[in-house]
Amino acid sequence: MDLNYSPEDREFRAATRRWLETNIPKQELKTLDERKAWHRKLYEAGYVGMLWPKEYGGWGATPMQQAIVQDEMARVSAPPAINGLGIGFIGPTIIVHGTEAQKKRYLKRMLTAEEIWCQLYSEPNAGSDLASLKTRAEDQGDHFVVNGQKIWTSSGPIADWGILLCRTDPKVPKHRGISCVLLNMRQPGVEVRPLKQITGSSLFSEVFMTNARADKSDLIGDVNGGWAIAQTTLGFERGGNALGRVTRYVTAFNQLVKATKELKRGGKPLIDDPAVRARMGRIYADLEVQRYAALRVLSALQKGDAPGAASSITKLSYTEFEKRYYELALEILGPFGQLMVAREEFEEVDTSSGEPGTFATAFLWSRAGTIYSGSSEIQKNIIGERVLGLPKEVRADRLKA
Amino acid sequence: MDFSFSSDQQLLKNSARAFLDEHCQPATVRLLWDDPRGESESMWKEMAQLGWHGLSLPEAYGGSGLGMVETAILLEELGRAAYPGPYWPTVLSAAAIEAAGNDAQKKRWLSAIATGDARATLAFLDRDLDWDPAAVTTRAEKSSKGWTLSGTKRFVPWAHVADVLLIPARAPEGPSLFLVDPSGAGLKLSPVQGMDLATRWVHLEMDSVPVAGDAVLGAPGQAAALLSGLLRRGAVGAAAEMLGAARRCLDMAVGYAKVREQFGQPIGSFQAIRHKCSEMLLEVENSHSAVYYAAWALDAKAEDHELAASVAKAYVADASRKVCGEAIQVHGGIGFTWEYDLHIYFKRAKALEAMYGDVDYHREQIVRRATR
Ligand SMILES: Cc1cc2nc3c(=O)[nH]c(=O)nc-3n(C[C@H](O)[C@H](O)[C@H](O)COP(=O)(O)OP(=O)(O)OC[C@H]3O[C@@H](n4cnc5c(N)ncnc54)[C@H](O)[C@@H]3O)c2cc1C
Ligand SMILES: Cc1cc2nc3c(=O)[nH]c(=O)nc-3n(C[C@H](O)[C@H](O)[C@H](O)COP(=O)(O)OP(=O)(O)OC[C@H]3O[C@@H](n4cnc5c(N)ncnc54)[C@H](O)[C@@H]3O)c2cc1C
Repeated sequence: MDLNYSPEDREFRAATRRWLETNIPKQELKTLDERKAWHRKLYEAGYVGMLWPKEYGGWGATPMQQAIVQDEMARVSAPPAINGLGIGFIGPTIIVHGTEAQKKRYLKRMLTAEEIWCQLYSEPNAGSDLASLKTRAEDQGDHFVVNGQKIWTSSGPIADWGILLCRTDPKVPKHRGISCVLLNMRQPGVEVRPLKQITGSSLFSEVFMTNARADKSDLIGDVNGGWAIAQTTLGFERGGNALGRVTRYVTAFNQLVKATKELKRGGKPLIDDPAVRARMGRIYADLEVQRYAALRVLSALQKGDAPGAASSITKLSYTEFEKRYYELALEILGPFGQLMVAREEFEEVDTSSGEPGTFATAFLWSRAGTIYSGSSEIQKNIIGERVLGLPKEVRADRLKA
Repeated sequence: MDFSFSSDQQLLKNSARAFLDEHCQPATVRLLWDDPRGESESMWKEMAQLGWHGLSLPEAYGGSGLGMVETAILLEELGRAAYPGPYWPTVLSAAAIEAAGNDAQKKRWLSAIATGDARATLAFLDRDLDWDPAAVTTRAEKSSKGWTLSGTKRFVPWAHVADVLLIPARAPEGPSLFLVDPSGAGLKLSPVQGMDLATRWVHLEMDSVPVAGDAVLGAPGQAAALLSGLLRRGAVGAAAEMLGAARRCLDMAVGYAKVREQFGQPIGSFQAIRHKCSEMLLEVENSHSAVYYAAWALDAKAEDHELAASVAKAYVADASRKVCGEAIQVHGGIGFTWEYDLHIYFKRAKALEAMYGDVDYHREQIVRRATR
C-alpha cells in the first residue's frame, strides 16, 4: 500500500494546473460553438480521449492521468468537455466492434466534437428491461428502415449521430433479435422533441423515427448481434471522473460552509449550531470516503484490473451518497436552500451535473444518478448476483425464455 | 498510487486468518465469556510468538518495525474473530511508551510487551462522557516522592489483566500521562460488563494513588497532543476491528441467504434480501477504503491523517452497526438466538462504536477540520 502519487503523476498534475491557469475560459461559455471551441482546445492539449489508443486520435494516457486532469478541472470549476457519451462509451464501442471504415469515418470527428453523439437505447416501454425494446429496423438490402420511438435521450437536440439499438427480428427471444446501428440524426425521418426535466431545463429528449434510414455500412457487429455489443461495458473513461467528482463535491461543501457562516439563527451563525455541525460532519465523512474509494478504483485500474461487476458498487455508492449529501445540505439551509438563482449567501454551486446552478439544482439533479446508467435497484441485482453469488430471482421473462 | 496490500501484507492477513480460524473459533469466544479474566493466556503467548504484539515496535525491543497498515490488517482479522483480550489496548499503550517514553521506560515495558510478558491499557474516559483529552479531570498533585493521582476512570478496557496502566491526569503544568502500577495503594478496580461479554471494562477509583516521580510519560503538562494522537490511533484500530466484525456478518448473511429456503426458493433470490446484502457489501467495501486510507495516512504522516482517522471511526461505526444488524434481519428468528453466533460480532462492533471517541465526537473533529 502506498497512496502517494508517483513523481510522474505529480509532475503531470503541475503541468495540467499550469495549462488550465493560462487557458481556462475567462467568461461563461454560452453557445454550443463556444463549448465546442473549448472542447477542441482541451483535446489538442491532450485532455480529451486520453485513454483512447493513439492510432484513433487518442492519447494513450493512464487512468490516473485522466483522473488528475478531471480533478484539476474540477478544482478550478472549469467547464467540462462535451460529447461525453461519445467519447466515454460510443467511440470505444466502435473501436472494439466497428469496421476500419467506420473507425475512419467517425472516431476523429467524435473526439474533436465536430460531431455530437447521443445514445438511443431507452424507450417508453423499455427502460431497465432494455432488451424488450420495440423500435423496428427492416432490412432493405443496403440499408435499414427504422420506425419507433426513443426517450430520455441526453443531448438529443444537439446530436448529429446516435448509437441505436433496434429490433431486427421480432420472432426470436428478445435478446437475440436486437441490432446495433449508427443513425444519422440530421435526416427528415428523425424528429427530436426536447423534454423538460425537473430542473426546468431540457437536456434530454424524445426521438421519433419515421422511415428513417440507416446504412448497412453503419451496422456495428452482426445483424441480431446487438445485445452482446450493448452488454460489453467498455467505458474507456471508466474511473476517469472519480477524483474530479469528489473535488466538485468539496467545492460545493465549501460553499455550504460559507453559507452556514453567513446565515444566522438566534443571532449566531448556523455553523455554531450542533445540529448543523452533526449533519456537516456526516456529509464530510461520507465525502472523504468517496475520495478514498475513488483512489482504490484508480489503483486497481492502474494495475490493469478490470473492475467488472464491482464497478456497480462504485456507481451505487456515489449516486446514493449524492442524494444524501444534497438532502442534508437543503435541510441545513432551510428555505434558502430552495433558491434556484445564486445570491449573496452562496454563489453558484458546482453541481457536478454539468448544469450550473444552486444547491437546489444539485439537489434536483441528484435524483437522476440513481436512475440512469442502470438504476440503483438494477445495480443491487448485479452486485447480488455477480459479486455475492446470490441465487437469481425467479422472473416472469426468464420463465418464458 | 497503490491501494492494494503488498504480498507480505497479504501473507500476514492470510496467516492471521488461519491462526484465528483455528484458535479463536466462536466456541472459544463463548468459553471465555465465563472466564474471570476473559482471555486465554495460551492464545496470548502464541500471538506474541507470531510477532503480533511487537508488530509495530522497533527491532531493538524485539519488534518488527511495521506500521499501522499491518496493525490494521491484524485488527481486522481479530475483529472478524471477535477475539477476546487486551491486544489493542496493549499495543496502543506500547505505541504511547515508544512515542513519549524515556529509555528506562521503554526498556522496562516494550520488550516485555513484544514477548507477551506484559499487558497494558490506556484510560481515556474520566467521570464524564468526554473524549477530548484536554478535558481530563483526574488530578495529579506533586508529593515528596513524586505524584499522587485522584479521580475516576471509566470503561478502561482490560485493566484487570494489565501490568501497567496509562493514566492521563491534570498536573499543575497541564494534561500529563502517568505509568501506574495497577496493584498500587489507593487504587480500586471494579469490573464493568457491557453487552459484549468478550469485551471487559474496568471502573477505576483513584484516591491519592502514589506514583513515582519518574513515572510520567514525556514532560508533565505536555500530554494533550500525545493523547489526541493516541485517541486517533485507537480509533483507527477500533475501526479496523469493526470492519472485521462487519465482514464476518456479511459473509454469514450471504452464506445463509444462499441455502435458506422459504416459499420454495432460497431467500437470497428475493430482492428484499439480495438488495440488503448488496447494500451491506457496499458499506463493507467503503469501510475497507476508510480504514486502510486512515492507517496509511498515519504511517505516512499525510497532511490529512487526523481527518482520516476521524472519518474512519465515524464512517465505520455507522457502517458496521448497519451491516451487523442487517445480518440478523437476513437470518430471521435464528439470528435472534444466543446459540447462533451472529450476536457475538454484532455486539463487538457495538462495543467498539462507543470507544476511542464515538460518532458524535469524531463528526465534530471532522467539522472542525473541514470548516477551517
Ligand atoms: C437524466 C437522465 C438521462 C438519461 N439519458 C439517457 C440517454 O442518453 N439515452 C438513453 O437511452 N437513456 C437515457 N436515460 C434513460 C435511463 O437509462 C432509464 O431511465 C433507465 O434505464 C430506467 O428506465 P425507466 O426510466 O424506464 O425506468 P423503469 O425501468 O420503468 O424503472 C422504474 C423503477 O423500477 C425499478 N426496476 C425496474 N426493473 C427492476 C428490477 N428488475 N428489479 C428491481 N427494480 C426494478 C427501477 O429501478 C426504477 O426504480 C436517461 C435517464 C435520465 C434520468
Ligand atoms: C422474539 C421472537 C419471538 C417469536 N415468537 C413466536 C411465537 O410465539 N410463535 C411462533 O409461532 N413464532 C414465533 N417467532 C417466529 C417468527 O414468527 C419467525 O421468526 C418469522 O416468521 C420469520 O421466520 P424465520 O425466522 O424462519 O425466518 P425466514 O422466514 O427464514 O426469513 C429469513 C429472512 O428472509 C426474509 N424473507 C422470507 N421470505 C421472504 C419473501 N418472500 N420476500 C422477502 N423476504 C423474505 C425474512 O424477512 C427474513 O429477513 C418468534 C420470533 C422471534 C424473533
